[in-house]
Amino acid sequence: MGNNVAINVTGVTKRFDEVLAVSNLSLRVNAGSVFGLLGPNGAGKTTTLRMILRITVPDEGSIQMLGQPLTESSQDRIGYLPEERGLYTRMKVRDVLVFLAGLKGLEDDDAGRRVDEWLERLELRSWAANKVIDLSKGMQQKVQFIAAVVHRPPVLILDEPFTGLDPVNAGIIKDIMLDLRKQGATIILSTHRMEQVEMMCDSICLINKGQSVLDGELAAIKRSYGKNTVRLEYEGDASFLDQPDLVAAINHFGAVTEVKLRANADAQEILKAAVARGVRINRFELVEPPLNDIFIEKVQGVAHA
Amino acid sequence: MHKLWLVMKREYLTRVRTRGFVVSTVIVPVLTVGILILQIVTASRQAARTLNIVVLDQDGTLADSVIKGLDGKLKNGQPEFHIVQTLERPSAGAEDNLRARVLNGQLDAFLVLPAKATDGKVPAEFHTRNPGEVTISSELNHAVSYAVIAERLHARGVDIHDVAQVVQGVGLKVIKVGTGGDSEEKGQTIILAIVVGMLLYTTLIIYGVATMRSVMEEKTTRVIEILVASTRPFYLLAGKVLGVAAVGLTQYGIWVTVGALVTAYGAAMASMAHAGALPSLHLSWVMLVFMVIFFLAGYLLYASLYAAVGAMVSNDQEAQQVQMPITMLIIAAVVLFNVILRDPNSSLSIGLSMVPFFAPILMLLRITLQTPPLWQIALCLAILVLTTATIVFVAARIYRVGILMYGKRPSLAELVKWVKYT
Repeated sequence: MGNNVAINVTGVTKRFDEVLAVSNLSLRVNAGSVFGLLGPNGAGKTTTLRMILRITVPDEGSIQMLGQPLTESSQDRIGYLPEERGLYTRMKVRDVLVFLAGLKGLEDDDAGRRVDEWLERLELRSWAANKVIDLSKGMQQKVQFIAAVVHRPPVLILDEPFTGLDPVNAGIIKDIMLDLRKQGATIILSTHRMEQVEMMCDSICLINKGQSVLDGELAAIKRSYGKNTVRLEYEGDASFLDQPDLVAAINHFGAVTEVKLRANADAQEILKAAVARGVRINRFELVEPPLNDIFIEKVQGVAHA
Repeated sequence: MHKLWLVMKREYLTRVRTRGFVVSTVIVPVLTVGILILQIVTASRQAARTLNIVVLDQDGTLADSVIKGLDGKLKNGQPEFHIVQTLERPSAGAEDNLRARVLNGQLDAFLVLPAKATDGKVPAEFHTRNPGEVTISSELNHAVSYAVIAERLHARGVDIHDVAQVVQGVGLKVIKVGTGGDSEEKGQTIILAIVVGMLLYTTLIIYGVATMRSVMEEKTTRVIEILVASTRPFYLLAGKVLGVAAVGLTQYGIWVTVGALVTAYGAAMASMAHAGALPSLHLSWVMLVFMVIFFLAGYLLYASLYAAVGAMVSNDQEAQQVQMPITMLIIAAVVLFNVILRDPNSSLSIGLSMVPFFAPILMLLRITLQTPPLWQIALCLAILVLTTATIVFVAARIYRVGILMYGKRPSLAELVKWVKYT
């Protein structure tokens, strides 16, 4: 097992004065996987990431990367895209990237060559000599992404990698992430966008108030909840859903409506009620709960039905 | 260590390439040199040619003795003035006529001696196209005044040569006693001391504040988050401080070189123009070494403090407030200049120059004025280095925590906690 674990956090606790930021947290990120680190604002995600990045040191517990305790040189083997983006705005794009690549341990020539390759790949070649401040926000994001991956780190930490990107650029970044993963990189993805997690992550850890409240393989987690949700598209009056003994919650998205069932409720009863009231059903699908609902339930502490 | 070097290199290169650095380093000395050269060139040119003038004497009494006084010679041995003509009790249109001749270049100028000049009520007039030639007008003034005084004395039955002999002083020569031999003092030591002190004061503040701004830039642009994920905060701080110091030394280097060239050139030009008497500000090598040592020590001390301020604030207004006490310390050293200048060896001067926050400026001032005993310099440096080491240690700890903290500025109690974090 040992070699297949990229990051192993064991019983880690971190306090800032009287505030307990992370409490006895353990998590295990398999090598070559995409791992989702989730949690509400202020849950302790950033503190956890900073400890893995060796920006701060845990008060208790230990962290191992690729089977070894963290050392100064392990920083060279992690790439980091922080949520709060930041570059030297008055430096030239290429100079900034070569500098940051150098700080990750690359030699000057090597850094220059790789930076040029990445600028080419992300269609920023013609901007290489421009100052960062002259770039659009989306382009700056891509530059920042290059800074995270340029030294080909075996472990990559991406905090909200898609914010501010248009669908085309988001697609490019996503493809690169999958490509890196195929080459063996381990990716830790921290985001509030649950649909991204559902599409990309193999495993997740949900933390709240500094503690892990849910962790494991994403598919297994969802399976454990069972198919307790009905995904509906209909035309007509919504009153057929007014059945408190069957329906626990309703989520209208416009075209689609998600209905969460009470424990032991039979979805068939809802279909019957709809037909009885002359509502036209275009879609009726029994599904596992969306991660979004699981997140809200876990964080708000709603009893699992 | 390689990463420290990278941080330092980036800091140095981005700073040296800024417009501000180019302006302060290159353009300022170039302007100074330009002005100096311009002055010397114009000063030497004005004495290069004999001026053709006409003397116009309303009474017909003074002209002879004035002309006798206009006996200055040019470097090439030619007389400074050639008196084309002397008009005594001229007709009414004479001045207009002369004006026309000056305008069409037949004549350089004309001098009008007023009627009843000995009353001293109406001044003499010098009509010229180049009124800016200060040495010429002062020479004329001298000649006219001398003639008028001689005339007045003569009326009282006194000969002017007797008076000149009576009022002649002996003069006073001030000799500076120094270890490197005695030298005549023309005020250059005090000027040099003040120049050196002010230079240190300016550079300490400029480069201290530059360090603070640089820390703030990395914090506010959040680039710091990537930096601390790549290397130790101490390397980031040390690289930054040393990079800015290298910029300061580069500027010193350029200034000293340019200054030496200007002094040499200026001295050469001055001797050619026989203007002389410019007190030369000679900076010895020993002084230069002391300057670099005290700049570096003082800079490390203050830059660390400024860097800590940069790390603990989140915006400009906060920075302004928090840096005030530090800037005041440097200004206080300048305010204390007078104490040192009055008596560099009084116990007050010695005491003040030992205070580490004032030492870089005040001890250097003392060394320039009058080299203090070696043990005092050694003690001063020892105190300074120890204090600086302590401050660097404390500042590094504040920096390490502060750069990742946003929001409200920390209280003193919180700062103490930051320093104690492991």
